[in-house]
Amino acid sequence: MNGIKTIVAKELSRVFSDKKLVVSLFILPVVLIIGIYALMGQLASNQEADIEKHVPIIAIQNEPEGFADFMKSISFNGKIKTIESDSDIKAYKDGILKGKKDVLVVFDQGFLDSITNYKDGDKIPEVKTYYNPSEDYSQSARTEFVDTVLASYKQQLLQQRFGNLESLSVFNVDVNSDSSVIMNEDKASGKVLGSLLPYLITFMLFASAMSLGVDAITGEKERGTLASMLITPIKRRDIVLGKLISLSILSMLSAAVYAVGMIVAFPMMMKNMSDSADLGLTMSFSAVQIIELLAIMLTLVFLYVGLVAGVAVFARTAKEATTYVTPIYIIVLVAGMITMVSSGTPDSYYFAIPVYGSALSIQGLLTGDLTTVQLAFALLSNVGLGAILTAVISSAFNNEKVMFNA
Amino acid sequence: MIEINNLTKVYKLSKKQMQEQKTKKNMKKAVDGVSLKASKGEIYGLLGPNGAGKTTTLRCIATLLKPTDGNVSVCGFDTVKEGEEVRKKIGFLTNEIKLDPQFSPEYMFKFFGRLHGIDDKTIKERQEKLFSYFGIHDFKDKKINDLSTGMKQKAAIAVSLVHDPEVIIFDEPTNGLDIVTARSVTDYLKQLKEEGKLVIISTHIMSEAEKLCDRIGIIINGKKVTEGTLNEILEETKTSDLEDAFFQLYKEHNVEEV
Repeated sequence: MNGIKTIVAKELSRVFSDKKLVVSLFILPVVLIIGIYALMGQLASNQEADIEKHVPIIAIQNEPEGFADFMKSISFNGKIKTIESDSDIKAYKDGILKGKKDVLVVFDQGFLDSITNYKDGDKIPEVKTYYNPSEDYSQSARTEFVDTVLASYKQQLLQQRFGNLESLSVFNVDVNSDSSVIMNEDKASGKVLGSLLPYLITFMLFASAMSLGVDAITGEKERGTLASMLITPIKRRDIVLGKLISLSILSMLSAAVYAVGMIVAFPMMMKNMSDSADLGLTMSFSAVQIIELLAIMLTLVFLYVGLVAGVAVFARTAKEATTYVTPIYIIVLVAGMITMVSSGTPDSYYFAIPVYGSALSIQGLLTGDLTTVQLAFALLSNVGLGAILTAVISSAFNNEKVMFNA
Repeated sequence: MIEINNLTKVYKLSKKQMQEQKTKKNMKKAVDGVSLKASKGEIYGLLGPNGAGKTTTLRCIATLLKPTDGNVSVCGFDTVKEGEEVRKKIGFLTNEIKLDPQFSPEYMFKFFGRLHGIDDKTIKERQEKLFSYFGIHDFKDKKINDLSTGMKQKAAIAVSLVHDPEVIIFDEPTNGLDIVTARSVTDYLKQLKEEGKLVIISTHIMSEAEKLCDRIGIIINGKKVTEGTLNEILEETKTSDLEDAFFQLYKEHNVEEV
């Protein structure tokens, strides 16, 4: 036991006494994540502000009498150009295609007359709009024109025809729409976060285990420093455990740093990017949930470290090790992604699949669906495979061919 | 007390290694039926050219390699079955095994002391003694990475002796050292002998073997071709110094693989 402790202490001090390593492992990622997300959010909000500031350029053909006044009365802001009914609109369409004009609105000829003289069975007059959905200005100008100007113009004309509009409504649906929503807030917000978090946690843990593990095992083998421990009376298994435990601690720390970075940065981006502010980013954990989550992460990181070390110990060079680890990394990524897109309740035995089971468990935990059996399956499969890997690595430490290329 | 009985070590060669060594055989016999005994209070030298099998033999003694055939025992413990006991008794130094370059000699000394299960007080005492002897105090807090070759070697020697081992196995201990440092190392080995330890070294430096070793075993192509005190070897080969004796034996025995 003392041997394990000594090795863990040395491994940790190796990392923490190296300023460059500390910066690249724990500080740079956070700065980068927050920086990137803040930049993304800033760019998105700049874009939005730019569209809002833009005064739409709108051409109207066959403009009905009094329409200009109407627009003024609802204070619609836009550069309006009126086109004669016999002029060619092709030039305007070209302008829209090239992004120089935003919207072309064509009223049917004799628009107001057909409305005033309307009889049952007559053709209903049409307002036709031309716009370019691939241009942000055009898209948003058209939406605004249709939703505000044309919609209230229609209301006004309806009122002229029928007088009291309430008699037309007959009935309302959901006057107070907020009160008609019945859902468990925790579960709903857990669902959004729950689809994202298992993915993030599983792959962030692995990413840090990967970079650290290859250096701590293959790197030391290459430098000839691993063998120095092999000539001490300490058990091979203790050396392996010392390595794995210290790597687990470092990976957890690194992942925690990432997670904090994400939690700080994510709302910063979302706040700027969209109106749907309620993304379920605030959520509360119960004590049991926190303990369960920690248990999953602890066993998972041990398994990851074992996987990386298992590969690293057989590789001759760090480059070789990285090449061998990459396929495992991809499997981990895919396992996390499957949980993001899958729906329905998976059978319990799925939870016994290492890596995937843990991703499922974290998801289930956040939505409150995780059962004790499922959790036990996930934990046992992690610990079981981790133990097997520890045994394999220990025997590799005893193998002269692996250790000395002999 | 090292006892080697008929030690044979065969390496399997990969295709790449076979190409590199320009051989069509996929096996290489690094050590071939070597037997020797060395006991307390003597310095035993394994002398031989590069690639003769010296390092392999020493690694077998140090439990790092398993004999293909034959067996090795140290202080009565078998190196394969009782590796942990053997490792308690030995201090092993070789060029390929290095101290972690990111740490200071002092940290490494303490680290390996603890791995050997020694309490901190004893480690401190041993450190004082060994660091003073080799003059490590001046650079004990520097990173090993920043040390010169000689300093590194001194630190490595001190660390390998942290647990005051009964058997000292040094693979070419003066390799790359200047004459002053080399002398301080060989002097210390003599001192260890006086303390009743068994020292076994490998070397290809004739003068070192002549002056330092009580008994010399000459290894050529994995086989021990002769063994004895300097005088016995000179008498056997009817030569006047070790270098001549060595070349005579070399001519005689290096006829394989023609």
